[in-house]
Amino acid sequence: MQYTSQAVAKPYFMAAIALFVAQILFGLIIGLQYVWGDFLFPEIPFNVARMVHTNTLIVWLLFGFMGASYYLVPEEAETELFAPWLAILMFWVFLVAAGLTVAGYLLVPYATLAELTMNDLLPTMGREFLEQPTITKIGIVIVALAFLFNIGMTVLRGRKTVVNLVLLLGLLGLAVFFLFAFYVPDNLVLDKYYWWWVVHLWVEGVWELILGAILAFVLIKITGVDREIIEKWLYVIIAMTLITGIIGTGHHYYWIGTPVYWQWWGSIFSAMEPIPFFMMTVYAFNMVNRRRRNHPNKVATLWALGTAVMAFLGAGVWGFLHTLAPVNYYTHGTQITAAHGHMAFYGAYVMIVLTIISYAMPILRGRTAANSNKSQVLEMWSFWLMTVSMVFITLFLTGAGILQTYLQRVSDAPQGFMVVQEQISLFYWMRELAGVVFLIGLVLYIASFFVGSKDPEATVEVSG
Amino acid sequence: MLLPAIPDTGFDLTMSASVQSGSAVEYPRHPPGDLAIWIFILAELGVFALFFAAYAFARSHNVALFDEFQQHLDRRAALINTLALITGSYFVVRAVAAIRENQRDHCVRWLLAALSMGALFLVVKWGEYAHHFGQGITLSTNTFYMFYLSLTFFHFMHVILGMVILAAVAWKAQRGAYSAEQHTGVESGASYWHMVDLVWLILFPLVYVMH
Amino acid sequence: MAMQKRIIFGLRACTWIWLVMLLLTGITYGIGQQGLSGLGISLTVLFLALLKGHLVGAYFMGLSQVRGFWRWPVTLWLVIPGGLISAAFIMSY
Repeated sequence: MQYTSQAVAKPYFMAAIALFVAQILFGLIIGLQYVWGDFLFPEIPFNVARMVHTNTLIVWLLFGFMGASYYLVPEEAETELFAPWLAILMFWVFLVAAGLTVAGYLLVPYATLAELTMNDLLPTMGREFLEQPTITKIGIVIVALAFLFNIGMTVLRGRKTVVNLVLLLGLLGLAVFFLFAFYVPDNLVLDKYYWWWVVHLWVEGVWELILGAILAFVLIKITGVDREIIEKWLYVIIAMTLITGIIGTGHHYYWIGTPVYWQWWGSIFSAMEPIPFFMMTVYAFNMVNRRRRNHPNKVATLWALGTAVMAFLGAGVWGFLHTLAPVNYYTHGTQITAAHGHMAFYGAYVMIVLTIISYAMPILRGRTAANSNKSQVLEMWSFWLMTVSMVFITLFLTGAGILQTYLQRVSDAPQGFMVVQEQISLFYWMRELAGVVFLIGLVLYIASFFVGSKDPEATVEVSG
Repeated sequence: MLLPAIPDTGFDLTMSASVQSGSAVEYPRHPPGDLAIWIFILAELGVFALFFAAYAFARSHNVALFDEFQQHLDRRAALINTLALITGSYFVVRAVAAIRENQRDHCVRWLLAALSMGALFLVVKWGEYAHHFGQGITLSTNTFYMFYLSLTFFHFMHVILGMVILAAVAWKAQRGAYSAEQHTGVESGASYWHMVDLVWLILFPLVYVMH
Repeated sequence: MAMQKRIIFGLRACTWIWLVMLLLTGITYGIGQQGLSGLGISLTVLFLALLKGHLVGAYFMGLSQVRGFWRWPVTLWLVIPGGLISAAFIMSY
């Protein structure tokens, strides 16, 4: 560790992984509930379990982004973090708030939770992914502001590298767009219109900046390629992200009651949203190819390359499949959406957080650069198990979605929702099986932090 | 081990080229200006290409509508705009030629002349918009107007951006930032401006004339 | 050599290109003013536009002096969308 304050990243990474486990456990619960509706009813009904699954995902990714920032910003800025105590304090505030919120979801009926948390003073509950009580949301804002302040002051004091600035811009955007979670118009069209300003402009906007910056940092460290080259690519990638993604928000405005021109604007611009992901893939492989050094942390390299590929496939390709208005007309809200959502989130954001953890955690735990060979091999197994099982989850949901779209909307004799669900249930069983394999991968991932931790660090032979 | 071998694409963003003057026939591998701006240029061209194709196909489903409302457009204004942008591009070419011969003041003057052409474009286009909006025409009036307004508006924004870039280059040139040996910025700005012109060269006939 | 330096009949080469483009624009405008229509006319107008585009790309942007990959994107940008637009117009007649 070059700077002692980088150590604050460790608790953030640990919380991230713990919440990741919770997310997957609840994912398996709802996956099972798809085909066995009464599973855990009425103690944990589907809608509650789903809230836990999606909310823990977002929260652990946020912990991951914060940990990543606390680790890489001091190193990039070449100065200690401005206020490490603040980072630790905010860690506990965020963790407790998250814990209480999830407990709230699980232990009391949602309406009661709304009453208990005085939602009617400033109503923000009841929207997908934004189910948190208003006080939790306020807590998130406070944590985010403190975090931005801490990171911002560190950058201000130190070197303002491109990686730092892009990361900061992404994080600032994350905070600003979250504010729209507080804007809940009465008009349903407007409500949905602005909801996407949080969701789309996060995952297809500012989060991509965060992803790009973290990937750039890891590539610089692992490959030793000239910083200027990597930074120039980063600029180009985020420019493409913003050019395509901002007006690309329109691909969520096709059927919600907004004017028809959105069907054109949304289709044309969002059709190009895969481009930055394609560039990221070319860029990552290119940089590793022309590396100046062989870094001993092989598994981090694997995660980095895997992120680029899976993000391109999940976000880029699967996104493109249903982004054009004439296609979306039929596939909207089907399992096609779920297929894309899972692979995109995993490929882009889960994997980038796991990449930075893979790179940084060994150092945070006292290694020079990498874990032992044994640990790395186990972690590589977990990479392949999780990634391949996610591909299968996506393929099964895509199959389900195509059949669902056909039976429910395209066929000459369209059938009702529940009737169709019955017919695609085989895909759901297979998806669940793949989900179990994913969990096995995750267990191995956890194990890789312990197995081989006493063994000597992996090294590379210095080539002549 | 787990890293597949992919041949180096030669995509080296550190290099930029300036065309060698003189009789040597050593054609460079890179276009004039910074490679990053060229990627940006390609991206912009890509979006407009999609839009043009969408226009053409939308038209094929609404021929009568498109033909009718096309007649309501001000072709003379569009002619002035086309001539303005072509001339602006020409001025920018002269500006690059000037700096390649180390003529800093001439370079600045040509750039300012190009900016005036851009300003002319904006004024004329603004006049067209004022007329349309005065008649209550919006993006939702009909499909033709949706395309016409969208296409020209996006292009309008790019003219503004192009002018900002040229102004920045002119400013830097004035302060002596460029020379015959080092003028990548001028070439980059020029290339971007040419892209703006290129887009309009397709837009004008496609939207205002072809029917 | 850089085309801005070549002098032909007293004018720089780039000046000639500019004048040709003004002329082509005038022709297109004239066609519009005459109200000429039909597939043949439309494709001619499109062709003139693509020609002007080519002149900008090859000579103003200087791409004819570039070898390798970068020589082609602008040309492809004229050919492919040009083709798609032509197809759409042909389909609608």
